[in-house]
Amino acid sequence: MSEQKAALATRPEILLIEDDPQIRKFLRVMLMAEDYRFYEATAGVEGLAQAATRNPDLVLLDLGLPDRDGVELIRDIRKWSQMPIVVISARGLERDKIEALDAGADDYVTKPFTPGEVSARIRAALRRAAVLDKNEPSEIVNFGNITMNLAARKVSVGGADVHLTPNEYKLLLVLLRHSGKVLTQRQLLKEVWGPEHVEDREYLRVFMSQLRHKLEADPAHPKYLMTEPGIGYRLLTEP
Amino acid sequence: MGPSRFRDFFRGFIVVAVCTAIVFPLRTHLAAANLVMIYLVGVIVVAAKTDKRAAVLTSILSVAAFDFFCVPPYLTFRVSDYEYLITFAVMLGLALFISAMTARLRAHASEAIAREAQTAALYRLSNNLAGRTRTFDIFKAAAELAEETFQSKVTVFMPDQAGHISFMKRTSDRLIVPSAEQTIAQWVFEHGERAGKGTASFRNASALYLPVKGEQRIFGVMAIVRTSTSVAIENVHLLDVFLKQTAFAIERAIAASTAQAAEVRVETESLRTSLLSAVSHDLRTPLASITGAAATLRSHWSRLDGGTRTELLSTVTDEAERLNRLVNNLLEVTKLESGVRLQKERFPLEEIVGAALLRLKAQLANRQVHTAIPSDLPLVAMDAVLMEQVFINLLENAIKYTPAEDPIEIAAGKHDSVVEIEVRDRGAGFPPDHEYRIFDKFFRGRTDNIRGAGLGLAICRAIIEAHGGSISAENRAGGGAIIRFQIPLTDAKQNDSESRSKGEL
Repeated sequence: MSEQKAALATRPEILLIEDDPQIRKFLRVMLMAEDYRFYEATAGVEGLAQAATRNPDLVLLDLGLPDRDGVELIRDIRKWSQMPIVVISARGLERDKIEALDAGADDYVTKPFTPGEVSARIRAALRRAAVLDKNEPSEIVNFGNITMNLAARKVSVGGADVHLTPNEYKLLLVLLRHSGKVLTQRQLLKEVWGPEHVEDREYLRVFMSQLRHKLEADPAHPKYLMTEPGIGYRLLTEP
Repeated sequence: MGPSRFRDFFRGFIVVAVCTAIVFPLRTHLAAANLVMIYLVGVIVVAAKTDKRAAVLTSILSVAAFDFFCVPPYLTFRVSDYEYLITFAVMLGLALFISAMTARLRAHASEAIAREAQTAALYRLSNNLAGRTRTFDIFKAAAELAEETFQSKVTVFMPDQAGHISFMKRTSDRLIVPSAEQTIAQWVFEHGERAGKGTASFRNASALYLPVKGEQRIFGVMAIVRTSTSVAIENVHLLDVFLKQTAFAIERAIAASTAQAAEVRVETESLRTSLLSAVSHDLRTPLASITGAAATLRSHWSRLDGGTRTELLSTVTDEAERLNRLVNNLLEVTKLESGVRLQKERFPLEEIVGAALLRLKAQLANRQVHTAIPSDLPLVAMDAVLMEQVFINLLENAIKYTPAEDPIEIAAGKHDSVVEIEVRDRGAGFPPDHEYRIFDKFFRGRTDNIRGAGLGLAICRAIIEAHGGSISAENRAGGGAIIRFQIPLTDAKQNDSESRSKGEL
């Protein structure tokens, strides 16, 4: 009981920047039901001002705002803060999502969405931020039947060692560092192969495929190495 | 006198010498008429192999040799019996006649050979040009064949957007002409007459410029420079036919593409019409359910029991989801229809399948999906978002018609230059004869009773065909349906470069 009270006292603050009143209405209900504290902004300029003054724990941002380009807004926030940003965007606007993620957004939800999806994304982003703050990378990471020994640079599946090439290992490591977060193809290529390879998407696909064949029971039905079509990849370390 | 003519004359001497060597020992045993025959054979041999002048020379030599060696008194040109003068005259006459006839025969034969070569060249040209649809390809093929046929250097210059002949727009770099001659090419293009080397206008130019002239307009200018081995000028006629054939091929290609564009327009029109009627039906049905359920909940909330409320709420969410799927499909169709180019990149097939399965996670929660995708399947060039939609539509169909306990199967394999993919279920299958029509419904404009399924499959077909593939359906042995589609693999060259780049990493 006392634990729950402590949680309430420190319950996270969320800034919702959304111009559509109907969507704002149902997100408001959802945020209240999940016990978050929250503030609303209906336009970009107002949202940026609120983000600066209130310094929320997370920003939920619709990319299609009437007054400002959502991606620009993310860049502005990223100049002074690493607060998690989850963007809301329509299907078919994959390029907007990629731009938002490359600009520093943490995750996205696609319209139309259910309250459950949004709340899952918010929780995951908040959890990642908390882990990042602690900044204690453990030596051994387990997910499913996969074990990664970061000190020895070894990976095993169901107890059996799996040989990964240096680039496969590097790719897996980058995904693991941001586990749960979607990484754009550009971000992955830049981190694993370097900035001159950001357009070599086929490399990435071939290596992801090889990783899946080595780590997943059924590569066409992956449990951990998830594809975000047209955008990038995400490592799921918990079901 | 060229060396070959000198050789011909020499050959005449040799033949007469050989004839004399045969005749000389026999001169006392045989009649003069028979000796003459042997010389005439010699004349025929020479005439068959050489030109007319050498044959005439051989004829005269033969008469002289006959007189000198075979007519008494021997080894002088004197004649004891004046009857021999008649023999000489007849012999010379015959020899000359034979020479003339043989030369004429030879001329006929070589003419026939040349004509055959021309026919063959034109045949190859029309063969080579048929089926080409781009003006540039036609010009390129024609230029290459002209080089071969006329043993010359050939290039074709094409006009730019503004109607000016540009040396930048050429079929090859094998023939380099001074850029100042662009004005000559332009003149030829405007006047439709030949100009340049060997003609009345611009005779000092380095090349001969010929218009490629169609019925209505001129398509380009062909430049020719003859080399030392070039075929002689008598082929000017052949060159004209050559150019005409090329122009004709271009006209035909233009006409064909115009017709095709018209056909596409008609198809698009009918697609749009049937789309509109199908869509208005498909959109209104879920909208009606949502409106009805929500309005009922609002006005009768207190009178409804908990179970009914939940049921009506599920109607709202389910129908909204259906509406969402429909709108997704419509967006894809609109994209395809408005001629948006496919964003094709090469993907491992399993990645696309995996993404579709993830998208349908909720609907597949209690289902078994068996995938059989060989790990050595090459990458396939696809528009990832559209191809994911294909799998989503096919899987949704399978889910709709298959009992929950039966597995859905996705199998893929490489066959020659295509990847073949099958989605199989154990549902009701298709009514007999319908397997050929399910993809068509929508396109034929049959709007009766088209539900989401019809639209979904029609969109699958549109997407697969936009990828250059084909899709078909059949009933499965033992019950159920198989939807099968093929997507062409990219050519071997690209595969090469892929394996190379993989090797570098």
